[in-house]
Amino acid sequence: MKIMTETWGQFKSFEGKQFKTFDAEFTQKVSNLLGGQDLTACFQCAKCSAGCPVSDKVNIQVHELMRMLLFGLEEVLETDMVWLCTTCYTCQERCPQGIDITDIIFGLKNMAFQKGITPAGYISARQSLYDKGRLYEPTDWEREDLELDDVPELDVNEIKKMLESTKLMKLQETE
Amino acid sequence: MTHSYEVFLGCAIPNRFNNYESSMRTVAKELDIELIDFEGASCCGTVVLKSIDETSWLSMSGRNLALAEKRGHNIVTPCNGCFGSLKDTAHVLHDNKAELKKINEVLKKLGIEYNGTTEVRHFVEVLYDLRDQIKEKIVHSLEGLKVAFHPGCHLIRPSNVAGFDDPELPRKVDELIELTGAKSVSWGFKLRCCGSPLLIASEDVANKILIEKMESAKEAGANCIVTNCPACHTQFDVQAYGLKNEDGDVLELPALFITQILGAAMGLDEESLGFELNRVSLDSISDILGI
Repeated sequence: MKIMTETWGQFKSFEGKQFKTFDAEFTQKVSNLLGGQDLTACFQCAKCSAGCPVSDKVNIQVHELMRMLLFGLEEVLETDMVWLCTTCYTCQERCPQGIDITDIIFGLKNMAFQKGITPAGYISARQSLYDKGRLYEPTDWEREDLELDDVPELDVNEIKKMLESTKLMKLQETE
Repeated sequence: MTHSYEVFLGCAIPNRFNNYESSMRTVAKELDIELIDFEGASCCGTVVLKSIDETSWLSMSGRNLALAEKRGHNIVTPCNGCFGSLKDTAHVLHDNKAELKKINEVLKKLGIEYNGTTEVRHFVEVLYDLRDQIKEKIVHSLEGLKVAFHPGCHLIRPSNVAGFDDPELPRKVDELIELTGAKSVSWGFKLRCCGSPLLIASEDVANKILIEKMESAKEAGANCIVTNCPACHTQFDVQAYGLKNEDGDVLELPALFITQILGAAMGLDEESLGFELNRVSLDSISDILGI
């Protein structure tokens, strides 16, 4: 099993782990996320983990993550499963209980990000979305060679105004 | 003209796969698909922004939907990431009145509003509609091309959002591929994610997934990979370039866009199909492609 050294995948095993409380409020909070409404229907069949492309590459698998949510264990935000979810939607597609698992994991990523638990790449991607409204810039010489027109212009100030209104740059509790 | 759309290119295509845009435009022209420039498009937000903050993602994507709606156009995109993001946003805003209200509060500050009427399609959906026309235009058989077709996740999943093909047994793009005389091979890991979204979090894990994909494609006897997404293509034509597994086996395979092979079979201008920009060498299949 790969041991994650990154700051965002510190929760590695249940072995010997003591949990202080089962926090019902946390479960409720997750149920209110986009896609979280059927969270409590999970009966641990683990079909999600069976089809997951990273099941053999993470310390905590999807069905375990789902159980942590039901038990109200906020430590779930520190599992590597949260940020190593590829967003492929196989688990969500196959869940016999119709739980929107992948969408729930997106919500968990949002919660983890607010706590500063995130791979560094997301911090710079956020900056680039705010500064330029795009993740990457056009490669002009290739476009000229292929006689492609310029990419239509974008008023970046409009994007900044929008993202200021959603407080994108002030999400983290410490910011 | 029956097919007219604003074309949503996204960020990755103009950045590193201009051959995809060029071949798409070439094929579109041949099939009388009108592609209108998308003025004022920002990034779709994609799974990156959805991971950081869903409200910002819905606003970013919602703004794009609202711009097209205001101009009375529907959207077509050649990118699975944009397709998934825009469609997912439309799905959320359509089903969830509270979210729609919240996002419209944000959009109001820009003087726009979304009413939920924009249709979002992937370019391959339009191609599938026109399959009979494509069939008639095939002038060069690609017999001998053994394609490991990678549909990519967000083209087919979640199926209640994507609404394009069977999520466990997709066949539509394979049908298009086989119109050319090429064979779309069955391969074990066909439906598995390419790993591309993990490049931002862990290149190591993304690579492990890619190695599994490439081994599976090779085992099935494929002599090329075909995709319809620039994010997936980053794995197959950039990350796989020179890739070896632990045994030292070379795992790269020529990686082509669906529009490049259709264009080659339709005998379209080779230069505009952009083969020059493919990174993994196409030498092993250039005779079949006729280039």
